[in-house]
Amino acid sequence: MATTGGVAAGEAADRGWRRTDRRGTAGLLGGPLLWLLLFFVVPVGFVAAYSVGGVQLFPTDTGIISLASWERLLTGGSVYMDLFWKSIGMSLTVSAIVVLLAYPTGYFLALCVGRRKYVLLLLIIAPFLTSYLLRVLAWKVILGDAGVINSFLAWVGVRGAGDPITWLLYSRFTVVLVLAYIFVPFVALPVFVSLDNLDQSLLEAAADLGASRWRTFLRVTLPLSLSGVFAAFLFVFIPTIGEFVTPLLVGGTSGYMYGNSIQDLFTRGLDWQTGSTLALFLLAVVAVLLALFGRFLRVRAVTP
Amino acid sequence: MTEIATSRGTRRALIGFFGLLVVFLYAPILILAVFSFNDGDVSFPLAGFTVDWYRRFFANPKILRSLERSAIVAGVSSLIAVALGVSAAIALVRRRFAGKSAVSALVFSPLVVPYLVFGVSLLVIFTAVDKFLTSTTGQYIGLGLHAIVIGHVVVSLPYTVLTIIPLLERLNIGLEEAAKDLGASPGQSFRRVTLPLLTPALVSAFMIAFTLSFDEYAIASFLAGRAPTWPVYLFAQLRVPSQLPQLLAVSSVVLVVSLGVVIAAEIGRRVAERRYGGTVRLQNLP
Repeated sequence: MATTGGVAAGEAADRGWRRTDRRGTAGLLGGPLLWLLLFFVVPVGFVAAYSVGGVQLFPTDTGIISLASWERLLTGGSVYMDLFWKSIGMSLTVSAIVVLLAYPTGYFLALCVGRRKYVLLLLIIAPFLTSYLLRVLAWKVILGDAGVINSFLAWVGVRGAGDPITWLLYSRFTVVLVLAYIFVPFVALPVFVSLDNLDQSLLEAAADLGASRWRTFLRVTLPLSLSGVFAAFLFVFIPTIGEFVTPLLVGGTSGYMYGNSIQDLFTRGLDWQTGSTLALFLLAVVAVLLALFGRFLRVRAVTP
Repeated sequence: MTEIATSRGTRRALIGFFGLLVVFLYAPILILAVFSFNDGDVSFPLAGFTVDWYRRFFANPKILRSLERSAIVAGVSSLIAVALGVSAAIALVRRRFAGKSAVSALVFSPLVVPYLVFGVSLLVIFTAVDKFLTSTTGQYIGLGLHAIVIGHVVVSLPYTVLTIIPLLERLNIGLEEAAKDLGASPGQSFRRVTLPLLTPALVSAFMIAFTLSFDEYAIASFLAGRAPTWPVYLFAQLRVPSQLPQLLAVSSVVLVVSLGVVIAAEIGRRVAERRYGGTVRLQNLP
């Protein structure tokens, strides 16, 4: 660009920059948006159309547009709704356990440890970033009838070799335990962040005004960290409603969840239309939860 | 300061609690590793030390092939996710445009959409496209690694964007403006100034996306077709008890490597952030 230093030329160059800027913005956004549109928005929209009969993939699909499959799901006490409520109950239990474990962890790291807190935090978080499947597998190996715990108990003579504790594996208890195990590291982070951002002079002020530590905790620390607690709760609750891998591995029939019925309809039952309806219902539930509580989940707010 | 928050007794209790939690988190992983060296099946009493399971796994072509598939899928999908992520991050941080909040909502939405729902959606669309293609041209695409790559790019994208944005925000915009004033085109200033400064974030973004993809099961299980990646293969083989010790050997190797990668990514980013004078923050972990 051979600018002469003149005002007009400078302005022209400036305008040139701005124009390329606009074109540049389109160029920057084009790739990611196109990818998400083609491979994320369109498929999910297609499943929505499929669930109301707008598409026919198999001869058994109804080719007529109707809300029949939705009606079957939502009314008349369908098995799927029973499973859904059971999954909600299990997810709530898991979320509560996880928050109860994560809160003291976050509290300890944010308020009791000095400079090493980030190292210790990484120690807690790291398992979450490693294989999900392997961590579930570990529990299957530990809790099985011939697994680590039962064989250990038989070995040391606490229980007979032919008398394992059978409820350890393939029960609702197992699914809740393993899901809690999976999610604790994940959720330690938002709790930690909310406590780490706490203005510590508030605690000093409370102490100066004669509040006991317990009172300070109940009246200052806890209320100020509640947003992190809510975020943590939702971070567990939302993904666990649609969980299917953990129940498949360690749940057996009594730990069977809503997500398992979706997977079964697609892989074994081959009733894709019902499966699409169930999947979309799950998505709708997540969307409602986000609409109601999303303000606690702002990505940048939780991870400032 | 710390005395105000907790009494000595509480502090001790919290230390104990933290210790127990670390044991709870790591003991199952350690047990996997211990039994991968056990000369017998996966139960007590331990029967003696062996590396036989490792030897068998390195001689098992099916396992190696599935690991290779996972590495390919993870490598390709992470490269695409980083490339798309860096351009989305630059647009979100540096540009002003209409509908920015909608764009960022879309980019981050894969974080909250259940993988199960997304996986079956891709399965349905691939089936529908194939049905259309067979009826019109007699050709079809089919499921397989390409389908998994497509899905993994979508779910990795928000993580790469979240990893790149903080460093981008901290980068001195003056450097880019200086390049512009010195006559660099936008492309040149990006290649010569922005990109080199962003490298640490790009490397961690790649590593995070890679580990996410490498052991992702839920989406891959619907899209693998006849080309099982490592998690899909592992899952299928769990029904064969005699295979278990060998699978534990592979699992231990995968766990150690992925833990190493995760920690290296985190340390790398912190070093980079310190170099730019920022405070240490763990802000881009999921």
